[in-house]
Amino acid sequence: MKKFMPVEELARDERFNQITQADRMADGRNALIADSEKSRRSNRLTPARADASEAARALMHGIFVGEIQALEGAGRTCWDFTTGEEAPFELKLDMARQAWDEARHVEISLKLSDWMGSEIGQYAENTVLFQAACSNDPVLRLAGVNRALEGLAIDVFTTMKEFGELAGDPYLEFCEDWMLADEVTHVKMGSDWLRKITENDPERRKKALEFQGIVDKMFSYGGSRSDSEESSFAIARRFRELAGFTEDENDHIADLGMQALNERKAQLREKQAAASN
Amino acid sequence: MTLTVTPDTYNFVAFDTAYTTRIAERMATQLGLDDIDILIAVNENSSLTRIDIDVTASLITIAPHSGAMEDTRRPRQQSELNTTITMARGMLRARDRLRGGFADAPADTELSLPQAAVWDTYILGRIAHMDIQVNKQAWVYNFRNRHGFSDAVDAVFEKVWNTANTTWAELNALSANTLSVTA
Amino acid sequence: MADPTKPRASFAPWDRRELPGSFSVEETARRVGNYKWAETKLFEVLGGWIATVPELDIKLRLGTHCYKHAWHAELWHKRLPELREMNPARLTLPANDALVRFVDAMTEPEDPSLTIEKLVGVYRVYIPHFISAYTYHLNNTSEITDMPTIRSLKFILQDEFEDWRDGEMLIQSLLETPDHVDRAAAHQAKLEKLMLEAGGIAGHGSIGINTQAPQGAMS
Repeated sequence: MKKFMPVEELARDERFNQITQADRMADGRNALIADSEKSRRSNRLTPARADASEAARALMHGIFVGEIQALEGAGRTCWDFTTGEEAPFELKLDMARQAWDEARHVEISLKLSDWMGSEIGQYAENTVLFQAACSNDPVLRLAGVNRALEGLAIDVFTTMKEFGELAGDPYLEFCEDWMLADEVTHVKMGSDWLRKITENDPERRKKALEFQGIVDKMFSYGGSRSDSEESSFAIARRFRELAGFTEDENDHIADLGMQALNERKAQLREKQAAASN
Repeated sequence: MTLTVTPDTYNFVAFDTAYTTRIAERMATQLGLDDIDILIAVNENSSLTRIDIDVTASLITIAPHSGAMEDTRRPRQQSELNTTITMARGMLRARDRLRGGFADAPADTELSLPQAAVWDTYILGRIAHMDIQVNKQAWVYNFRNRHGFSDAVDAVFEKVWNTANTTWAELNALSANTLSVTA
Repeated sequence: MADPTKPRASFAPWDRRELPGSFSVEETARRVGNYKWAETKLFEVLGGWIATVPELDIKLRLGTHCYKHAWHAELWHKRLPELREMNPARLTLPANDALVRFVDAMTEPEDPSLTIEKLVGVYRVYIPHFISAYTYHLNNTSEITDMPTIRSLKFILQDEFEDWRDGEMLIQSLLETPDHVDRAAAHQAKLEKLMLEAGGIAGHGSIGINTQAPQGAMS
């Protein structure tokens, strides 16, 4: 079996249809409430939204496929690097542990999807998470996946947990909280290994943090995560601090989110203006 | 009766106006609405799944956002099933207002979330009984989100889902009673 | 009133543990190093296969098993310094070159259509050989001097039996045609022959029977 598997070869059964981030970015439509007085209404994913059930269902499916890719990414890290030379034995043990955790998260998401009424493969699968796990440097994988993506997972699961709490859903809040605990562990793994492996290699650390920033920005695409009420997810500052993010890092994510939201709105206005001419 | 679908062409989605027209005409006939003008105005600028409806004595306007007709597995492609369900949802709501004992129902924008949920359940239940493939569990979840998570709420859902004919007053009362039991 | 100073037997009547064992400290360390190497190769390939397997239930099961074998490797890693090997990497070795050839053959299937071969290699060949090597070790080491190894072996064997069952059930669920059965049997035979050359997870003598042909033996 070869090392370093490209994203196009991710194995799926016939229910799944995969799209790329580029496909998603090419969509000229607005997912925000129409540009009018109504746009000042909150877009936060709470039960108070008229489309809350549908939005929660779509998000749960997104979590489900994201967890599959996180499982696959952790598993590939066990295989792709020679133990000892390219990746420490203990780092691989942590990746194997993460694979188990992500497998449980897939199981949880499957049960929650049944509960919420969505079907496997009902929504297109964006493969961008696995792409972030494809780097040929294990430190970059940790920066991209364990810090950037698991950080996003902390934000998303916190939103879903609060959604479940507000709606009185007996399973959603319970399940999201258990998954949240695991994600805090995964971010810590990323932070600890990044620091250990690059202790005497500031250049490699710089590259890793830059890559983390790129992934953070990619996942802030469309401004779906920011401090603005126009974004679906808030930044879960408390849980992020538990996971080892500093206040500066959280502020930086918040700034990226606002930037991305404003860029997307400007982009959409341009596309829609061009279409109406 | 005239049935019109707009726009003729699309910039952001790969929808087909003639295809949508055929589905809408078939549904209008099936629901006994081939004696009133209908305008289907697709809003392709929005990817939401909303369906806005306006009803007068002489015209039904159904304005689905493009997400309502979209194949969620293949973004921006049209789904026959979702287009069918959207047409059915829009037309049933319009028919309820015009002829179905819902003349006293609040305007769509004034409906509370539980009221919208109970009416949607009534509509989707009738669509399911037309042998159109509907994901019932999704509507159970929606009803629970608005009325609570309990066996009593589920029993009310089943009753509404299997109701072929009711009025706004009856439906609204069911929803209000369910809420007061859950509170 | 019972007299606390009255002498009691040092070993209770129900404690029948024996002192002698078949393995010296050095021999135990050698085997444990082989076990660690073999479990490491297993968890690595299970992790690598997750993305190549389209069957969702199997994907999830591989993720769980990947961790279990990683944990086994960790238990062996921690045992080595206790057996006077302060540099565990030094003894983390394959038993012989033939076992390396076995692992290469077992880890070779990659295509999404080869889930049967992937599972057969692990659950009908590799894991059964772990079970036999570990059982032999458990039953032959000193129950008193080597209690830490016994403790690890017992925990690990529980996992191995459960994983063996999981894997076997998954294989049975995949075999839908006679051709599938043939594929499974052919791959198992190919790998068993390689394992025969290797002699087992800890080489020849893994289960106390030396399968290596003696020098000058007539064929």
